[in-house]
Amino acid sequence: MQDSYREIFLSESQEYIDNINGCLVRLEENPRDLNSLNEIFRCTHTMKGMSATMGYDKIAQISHQMEDLLDELRGQKKFVTSHIIDTLFAGVDLLEKLIQEVRLNQESKTDISACMEALKNLLREEILPEPLAAAGIETGKTPFSASDEVEFTETELIKFKKAKENGFNVFNIRITLSANCPMKEARAFLVITNLKRQGEILGALPSLEALKEGKFDRSFLIVLVVKEKSEILQQELMGISEVDNVNISPAEMKPQAPSIPEPAHPQETASLPSAAIIPPPGSGSAGTQTEQQSSYLKKIQSIRIPVQRLDKIMNFMGELAISKIRLVQVVQSLKIQELEEISFTLDHLTSALQDEIMQTRLLPVAYILDNFTRVVRDLARRKNKEIDLEIIGSEIELDRVVLDEIGDPLIHLLRNSIDHGLEAPEERMSKGKNPKGKISIQVTRQKGHISIEISDDGRGVDFAAVGRKAVEKGLIPEQEASNLDAKRVLEILTMPGFSTAKEITDTSGRGVGLDVVKVKIESLGGRLDFETKIGLGTKFLLTLPLTLAIIKAMLVKIKEEILAVPLMNIRETIKVRPEEIKMVQHFEVLNVRNEVIPVIRMEKELGISGNNGQNTAGLNEAISLVIIEYEKKALALLVNQIIGEQDIVVKPLPAFVKKTKGIAGATILGNGRVALILDIMSLKN
Amino acid sequence: MARILIVDDALFMRQVLTTIFITEGHEVCGDASNAKDGVEKYKTLKPDLVTMDIVMPMMEELDGIGAVKEITKFDPKAKILIISAMSQQALVVEAIRLGAKEFLNKPVNPDRLKDAVRKILANP
Repeated sequence: MQDSYREIFLSESQEYIDNINGCLVRLEENPRDLNSLNEIFRCTHTMKGMSATMGYDKIAQISHQMEDLLDELRGQKKFVTSHIIDTLFAGVDLLEKLIQEVRLNQESKTDISACMEALKNLLREEILPEPLAAAGIETGKTPFSASDEVEFTETELIKFKKAKENGFNVFNIRITLSANCPMKEARAFLVITNLKRQGEILGALPSLEALKEGKFDRSFLIVLVVKEKSEILQQELMGISEVDNVNISPAEMKPQAPSIPEPAHPQETASLPSAAIIPPPGSGSAGTQTEQQSSYLKKIQSIRIPVQRLDKIMNFMGELAISKIRLVQVVQSLKIQELEEISFTLDHLTSALQDEIMQTRLLPVAYILDNFTRVVRDLARRKNKEIDLEIIGSEIELDRVVLDEIGDPLIHLLRNSIDHGLEAPEERMSKGKNPKGKISIQVTRQKGHISIEISDDGRGVDFAAVGRKAVEKGLIPEQEASNLDAKRVLEILTMPGFSTAKEITDTSGRGVGLDVVKVKIESLGGRLDFETKIGLGTKFLLTLPLTLAIIKAMLVKIKEEILAVPLMNIRETIKVRPEEIKMVQHFEVLNVRNEVIPVIRMEKELGISGNNGQNTAGLNEAISLVIIEYEKKALALLVNQIIGEQDIVVKPLPAFVKKTKGIAGATILGNGRVALILDIMSLKN
Repeated sequence: MARILIVDDALFMRQVLTTIFITEGHEVCGDASNAKDGVEKYKTLKPDLVTMDIVMPMMEELDGIGAVKEITKFDPKAKILIISAMSQQALVVEAIRLGAKEFLNKPVNPDRLKDAVRKILANP
């Protein structure tokens, strides 16, 4: 049991933790947000169940204790205070830590007693409603009040409709147990068991789980799909001891009130069209009752797939794509029409398949951004700053490998903004700014890549201060310090070992600087840019490829070698006559539309000697150049021949050739040849 | 008027229950002091109703829960009334899952017992 369920436990519990964090932030903003409260309750409840089943006692204990507290909040026996929120946050953090121990297969040494005690104390404490919070609460309308109706999910509504169509009755059954009914959990269970013998339970208020745990007063509501008439049900239910009163009325369809959206997890939200849940015609209308009931069973709409498996599929897909290209080439040379038709279809199908598989690897950026509200809240609190976080475009999808990798760099940039960018509230007020600082994360999708902008409205970067510091640290010569532009400042900021913070803080000063961020982004084939205005704020711009696995590239020939240049970096390709390349201060340059661009002879740069096939172009013959753009700087790469554009599957280089200058990876071409992928970064110097 | 089998390991409880049932006009057709005996007597006596103490010592791998399982296997319509201490909620839930029709808590309140028996017998 342990091993086979462990993975599922780990991935699911992480989702719950993320969800709890998100909802807690919302609840803190609005203590009357019952949806968030219910959601947190649901998550902790499920966590408790899962962990207890798995035998992770500490997780079970903490979540149980949290659940008890949340239940009091839900029942409005207690009111949400900042102390409660903090304690719940502490609880979630502890849960996360404990889950991490499970993930690492560590024996748990974490002490949970302090947190348990804090939660228990809150449970014991008498917390009177805060006047402000209480005023807004609709009195008498607790979540479980007798007048409430069960809200249905879409699936349940479809079942509801189907049941009606097939001549079943759908009843709201309100059952009231006698006052002082002993063991009401078991009593409720007995009632439910009885009802389940009669028909199918569509919903309950409180939920069936809550009922089984006795989380109700005396009365509860069950929605039942049943063949029997209400009189028979009435008699049956009244025949159970301790059932004081039974009230049966026909139920009506009411869609669920819009609740807070779940953080989007595409593997779950990618629902089939609703038609898929409706049983096929014929299975319902003429069948017996048992057949009918089986049609009410929920169909599985999404499955979990381990990431490793997706990677494998992707890898096979890459091989398939390569074989396909080879096949197409062979077929073209054979000129057999029938074969060409088949090959055309195959080509088409492989491309479609490739697209679909790419889609399965994509996750919305929300997957990581949703956690940031929590991160920002914690950091802001620690630094005594007030911060509004705005996230735009979190629905945009990105390859999960890229997503995995950019989380830390993004958090680092956020920390940077909070620590160095945003001023303390008093300072902001004295400058006439809103005391509450603003950080915004904006994700946009462009052709072939996405960009993520993190901007703050803080003090901006003081170039002079950066310059002084850099001189002090011996990073730049003194004469340069007074003459810095934004680009150079970013370069300095991202130099290893540079930090403008007056003191090492536990938020930014963790021994890693912006240099790590930059290296990470660039290793992903992305780019880091930066803009700043003194007094107005700073903006970091990340440009990232959509995926790492397949990229569009321009194939060029350098002597006998074929090199792939990522299309993302290419501005244009041109042909010029040899004499158009001029020498300026010992450097070869090319004038393109009045822009002077340095020329790099690739054979020299990469040290490709090779046998002198057709050598460099002869005199007067046009030379091919690929103009790339990197960090807003253009470079002209002189190559022997431009072959063309192609999708290439990036394969990592084996360890023994990993650190080859100028090479980022390799790919296999249609003809089976290996082509190296150019590492633009290494050319910048 | 029904034929009732009492299964309880405590002689005291068997006597209390017998007295209540007889004054109510029922017939106590037999009693058993352990689960195994209870199941055997149910099979031979085929009573209208059986009261079952849910916490009984294990006898030949059979306890209260086991007895409920055996009896409902033998007779899916068996009317089993669980008698349980307040603390045995989980066992009671398990017994209901296995097909027990009703439950009562110790200490047994005669009125509640009579009411429960009347209701079980009234239902088909």
